[in-house]
Amino acid sequence: MVTCPSCSHQNPDHATHCEACYIPLPVAAPAAIAEVSPEAKTQEMTSCPNCKAEVIVGASFCGNCGLDLRSVPHISLELPQSIAPQLIAPDSIPPLPPVAAQIGALPEPEINLAENNKPPEPITASGKNKTQLQQISAHLFHVQTESKIEIPPSLLIVHIGKPNNLIPPDIDLSGFPDSDIVSRVHGDIRNEGDAYYFEDTGSSNGTYINNVPLPPGNRHRLRAGDRIAMGKGDKVSFIFQTTS
Amino acid sequence: MQVNLSGRLSDRFFDPNTAGGVSQRQVAISVSAAALTEEQAPLNLCLVLDHSGSMGGKPLDTVKRAACALVDQLSYRDRLSVVSFDHKAKVILENQTVDRPESIKERIQALRSGGGTSIDEGMKLALQELSKVKSGVVSQAFILTDGENEHGNNDRCLQFAQLAAEYGITLHTLGFGDEWNQNVLEKIADAGNGAMSHIQTPEQAIAEFSTLLRRVQSVTLTNAFLELELPEYVRLAELKPIAQVSPDAIELPLQIHPSSALVTVRLGDLMTTERVIVINLYIGNQIFDQLKTSKANQVNILTAQVRYDLPAQAQEALLTSPIQIEATLDQDFKPAIDPEVQMHIFALAKYRQTQLAETKLHQGDRLGAATMLQSAAKTALQMGDERAATVLHTNATRLQAGNDLNEAERKQTRMVSKTVLQVSPPS
Repeated sequence: MVTCPSCSHQNPDHATHCEACYIPLPVAAPAAIAEVSPEAKTQEMTSCPNCKAEVIVGASFCGNCGLDLRSVPHISLELPQSIAPQLIAPDSIPPLPPVAAQIGALPEPEINLAENNKPPEPITASGKNKTQLQQISAHLFHVQTESKIEIPPSLLIVHIGKPNNLIPPDIDLSGFPDSDIVSRVHGDIRNEGDAYYFEDTGSSNGTYINNVPLPPGNRHRLRAGDRIAMGKGDKVSFIFQTTS
Repeated sequence: MQVNLSGRLSDRFFDPNTAGGVSQRQVAISVSAAALTEEQAPLNLCLVLDHSGSMGGKPLDTVKRAACALVDQLSYRDRLSVVSFDHKAKVILENQTVDRPESIKERIQALRSGGGTSIDEGMKLALQELSKVKSGVVSQAFILTDGENEHGNNDRCLQFAQLAAEYGITLHTLGFGDEWNQNVLEKIADAGNGAMSHIQTPEQAIAEFSTLLRRVQSVTLTNAFLELELPEYVRLAELKPIAQVSPDAIELPLQIHPSSALVTVRLGDLMTTERVIVINLYIGNQIFDQLKTSKANQVNILTAQVRYDLPAQAQEALLTSPIQIEATLDQDFKPAIDPEVQMHIFALAKYRQTQLAETKLHQGDRLGAATMLQSAAKTALQMGDERAATVLHTNATRLQAGNDLNEAERKQTRMVSKTVLQVSPPS
């Protein structure tokens, strides 16, 4: 059941346009995301150092007890890694149980961790945690030149435009044909969790999503296959594509 | 080829990875009568005129003048009958050919105002008069009123309209002034497969009459039905899946035959003016099984056919050759939205959103209605219908300011939502 945000009509599942008022409906789970998320759950799991509940590697909070896992990222992240043997039998290693206990009991675990538990720390600083994050990689397919542009997965906001003094573009379109209709600060792609949004940040010639103008300030949730055209006339157009 | 029939899919490409495997699509089917050189069937026209007390003075005089002007435009082969009603109805002119226009005009001029309003009585007599001649003619009724159906029964009106449709008689309604009930007149016109027009000032009467007359004179094929056949992987939307969007927006009731997977929609008359019907569909993922078996990447979504009568040659239930609407299946999905179908969808969206706004207004939810009207105005702008956008936006602003819409504004809203007024008049 999809309830229309505009007229509250209850549409059947899979409706993309409201049957009553024909406005485009928000899509709950696009295919790409729906396929990825179960994998993410089954892949890299570890246990919460406080309550031993299962949590996903890279999670910020424990879903069971609410512990801030970012304050103890090292233990949870490195468990399945190379130092795992040391930590898997916590009873045999003296420093660890107090740490776990302190984390559960004390509000300021960070300091204690650093002082008491020196051996694991240097290993944890290896920065491997970033690569473990399960993410869909997305790219833009430029229709006119049939080329792919990767959307940098590390950035939460990807600025699209041409070189300027205010906001340097992350995706620079100045080299593309007809790029004169693209504004220097044209739009943003925002990456929020597993969803991507497009926003026009006040371009001169506007942005068209699937041939429909996107009003400045409105966000459009991108789905695989969406056509983003910068400016009028469909001259600089991209297809948003995802690969899981 | 007497009928031009064609159809387009809102997006002919399908994504094999759609969530849940179901895609929603709209099909726009356009139907028009081919411009024929052969002779046209004579008209069988009935004027149903309101001569209640409120029509007294200038309104009735103009209507009489408009009716007389209409008589002059009819050919000697056409048939005319005139019914007038107040709280009762009577036949002013029995069904006859227009060979002595002067005496017909005298009868019309003799109309005097007085009494109440009972539309259904007038409709009943009109149907009786029109059904005196059954075949070889194009049967039409013009129903003109200026007020609420205060002495009649609105449900009975609707029943008569449905009966008329079954007889192959088309009903057009004309609202005079600003006091009439747009819901009743719209329902009559929609059920009777006709048009609704609004005569705001008496001066417009003659123009509106001749617009309608031009429309009915261009009717060459009558009693048309659109027949749709859906494969098992396609289903219709649950709510009002079929609607006409051009020349005006009308929700089309459909009949489903459970045995044959056939859906029938009554279209009424076919004119040389194109009629566009939008069908809202869900297409299941089984469509990709078709791809495996058939090898070709074109898959049938819908088969459409039109059944119609040709009154000029007294032929009935003729069939056009069926057309197939096909989808293209491709592993690399790229949406390609058909801009023409998109326009038709906007037209329907504008109508639906305005209707929802009116319902909300009726329920007393003024802000909700204003929001809905705003989105209707936005839709109108997207389709380039600036006049409608202006009217809808102005009314939305009035509602937001806490004012109510007066009767004239409500009628205007209904009219702009139903039709698209062309910027350049058709040649």
